[in-house]
Amino acid sequence: MRPVAAASDPTRHFFQPIIVCLTVASVALTLFVIWISLHDLSLMRAGREKFVGLDNYIRFLGDPRAMAALWRTVLFTVLATVIEIALGLAVVLFLDRDFAMKRLVRTLLLVPIIMTPVVVGLTWRFLFDPATGMANYLLSLVGIAQVDWLGSPRIALFSVLVADIWQWTPFVILLVMAALESAPTDPLNAARVDGAREWQVTWYVLLPMLRRALAIVALIRAIDSIKAFDLFYIMTRGGPALSTETLNYYGYIVAFTNFDISYALAIAIILTVFTNVALLTMYSVLFPKTGDR
Amino acid sequence: MAQLSIRSVSKSYGAVQVLDDVSVEVEEGSFVVLLGPSGCGKSTLLHAVAGLNPIDSGSIVIGDRNVTNLPARERDVAMVFQSYALYPTMTVAQNIAFPLKMRGLDRRTSDEKVAGVARLLQIEPLLSRLPRELSGGQRQRVAIGRALVRDPRLFLFDEPLSNLDAALRTELRAEIKRLHQSIRRTMVYVTHDQTEALTLADKIVVLKAGKIEQTGTPLSLYDDPDNVFVAGFIGTPRMNFLKATVVDDGKALTAGEARVDITHLKARLDNGRTVTLGIRPEHLDEKEGVTLSLAVDVTERLGSTSYVHGALPSGETVVAERREDQPRFGETITLRFQPTRARIFDAEGNRIR
Ligand SMILES: Nc1ncnc2c1ncn2[C@@H]1O[C@H](COP(=O)(O)OP(=O)(O)OP(=O)(O)O)[C@@H](O)[C@H]1O
Ligand SMILES: [Mg+2]
Repeated sequence: MRPVAAASDPTRHFFQPIIVCLTVASVALTLFVIWISLHDLSLMRAGREKFVGLDNYIRFLGDPRAMAALWRTVLFTVLATVIEIALGLAVVLFLDRDFAMKRLVRTLLLVPIIMTPVVVGLTWRFLFDPATGMANYLLSLVGIAQVDWLGSPRIALFSVLVADIWQWTPFVILLVMAALESAPTDPLNAARVDGAREWQVTWYVLLPMLRRALAIVALIRAIDSIKAFDLFYIMTRGGPALSTETLNYYGYIVAFTNFDISYALAIAIILTVFTNVALLTMYSVLFPKTGDR
Repeated sequence: MAQLSIRSVSKSYGAVQVLDDVSVEVEEGSFVVLLGPSGCGKSTLLHAVAGLNPIDSGSIVIGDRNVTNLPARERDVAMVFQSYALYPTMTVAQNIAFPLKMRGLDRRTSDEKVAGVARLLQIEPLLSRLPRELSGGQRQRVAIGRALVRDPRLFLFDEPLSNLDAALRTELRAEIKRLHQSIRRTMVYVTHDQTEALTLADKIVVLKAGKIEQTGTPLSLYDDPDNVFVAGFIGTPRMNFLKATVVDDGKALTAGEARVDITHLKARLDNGRTVTLGIRPEHLDEKEGVTLSLAVDVTERLGSTSYVHGALPSGETVVAERREDQPRFGETITLRFQPTRARIFDAEGNRIR
C-alpha cells in the first residue's frame, strides 16, 4: 500500500501559496531593510544616498548613546521579566485556595492588561508627579523624603519599570494560574503523604510541573520588554538626560527626529539579531532538547 | 489495641453524602480490604485516613494518636494512589527515592533501598525514565515502589493492581501478601476485585454508597452474608436469588415447585410472606437435597469444572456449577441443594437467620 504522500494531500493548495507569500514578503522586506542599512539614506539629504557598506554598524559600536541604550534595554528587560515572573508566581501561589471573592479578584486582574498603555502611562505620570502625585504623598505619610520619580536620571528608569510591572504582572498571574489549575493535584498530595512540608511540595513537585508555563510566560514578557516603547514615550520620552532611552526608543529618535533612516534601520537590525540570540539562548536553556529534563 | 480506628466518619461533597457514619477497626499487623462498587467512597475514605481530605465528623486514630486534625505529613502513612500520582518531572528512581529524601536519608542507603524495591517490582530497567515514558502498569509498579521503600506505620493501597495484566497481577498480589507476612505492617487495601479481596484480606469491609454493609473475615462474608448486597457481591459467579413464599406455618418455603425446609432458622416467619432465597452456584451440584429443574442455555467450560446458565420453569435465570458432566443447550438437568446452604433474605434484602 502506498503511504499518503505529502504531495497528494489536497490541502497543499491552500497552505503552500500562503507559505510562499509569507516567505517572499518577510525575506524581501528583510533584504530590503538590510540593503538600506548599508547606505547612508537620510531624509535630510534625500536623493543623495550612496552605498557605505558596514559603516552604520561600525558607527553603532562607536556610538556611546547607542551602547548606553542597549545596556539600558538589557537592564530593563531582565528586571521587568524577573520581577514580573517572581511576583506573579508568588501571587498565584498565594491565591491558590478557595476564598469568597476569587472570581472578582480574577476579573480585577484583567483591568491593567486591557488598559491601553497611554492611559497606564498617564496614570502613573500623575501618581509620580513630584508635587501632586500620590506616590510622594504616601511617602510623606511615613515620613520619607520626597522623590523626583520621573525627573531624576537615577530613578526614572525604575519608575517606568514600576508601571510596566503594574501593567504586566497580572498577565503572568493569569497564565500561571491557568497552568496551575490544569496541573494534577494528586502528585502534590502524594508528596504530602511522603512527608514533604508545604514549601517542599511547592519546590520539588509543583514548581517543576509549572516550569514550562513559566518559561513560556517569561519568553513572552522578555520579548515584550525588549520592544517596550509606549510607556517610555508617554512617561519620559527617553529623558531625563537620556536616562530612560532604550535601544528601541533610540532607533525611533534616530529615524523620526534625526531622519537618519539607514542608521535607524541598522539599529533595528542589531536589536532584532540581539533579541533573537538572547531568546534562543534562553529557549535552549529552558527547553533542553534531550528528553526535556 | 487497634492500629487504625476509623470512628463514625462522615463526609459529604455539597449535598452528596459520600461517607455515612463509617467505623472500621484495623488490628495491628492485619490486612484489611475495603471492597465495594465504583463510586462507593473507597478512595474518599482512604484519602481521609491519609489526611488529604478533611472529614465532616468523626475521628481517625492511628496507633495511639488521634490524627484527625494532623496534616498528612505527620501521620506516617504510605499510600499508593489510584491515579499513581507519580511526580511527572522526576525519573522513576527519583520518584521512589523522594520519601527517603524528605526524611533526610543519606544518598547511599537511599540508592540501595531504591535498587531493592526496583528488583522486587521488576522495574530496574526503567529507573532513569520519566513517568510519561512508562506504560500504565509500569507506572503503577513505580507507585507501589514509592510506598514500599518506606517503613511507615500504615500502608494504604488504592487499587494498586487494577492496570496490570492477569499474570503480573497474580504475581504482585502474591508479592504483596508475602511482603505483608514478612514485615507484618498494617495494610489497608482498596479494590473492587473480590478475588483480590478474598485472597489478601484478614478482614473485609464491604462498602456501598458510603455506608458499611458488612465487616468480617473473607469466609464469614462468603458464608454468612448480612444482606443481599454482600451475598451478591462476594463470590463468582454471583449467588442465585429466587423468589420464595413461606408455607407450612413457617416450616418451609416454596420456590417454584421446590419445597425448602427452613426449620433450622431461628426466626419465625409468617405464612404467605414473600422472601428471597439465595443459593450459590457451587452449592447446586449435590447428590441429594431439594431439586430444581433447569433448562440449559449455555455451559461455560473452565476445565476442572463448568458453569451452566439456564432458566427455571418459573423463568428465573440460574447459574449452577457442574463438576461431572457438561450439559448442552436445550437439555433439562436436575439441580440439588441442601436447604441449610440456602440463605434467606427479607423483602428489604436483610438476612433472616
Ligand atoms: N471532589 C469531589 N467533589 C464531589 N464529589 C466527589 C468528589 N470526589 C469524589 N466525589 C464523589 O464521591 C463518591 C465516592 O468517590 P470515590 O472516589 O471515593 O469512589 P471509589 O469508591 O474510590 O470509586 P472507584 O472504585 O471508581 O475508584 C463518588 O460518587 C464521587 O462522584
Ligand atoms: Mg477510587
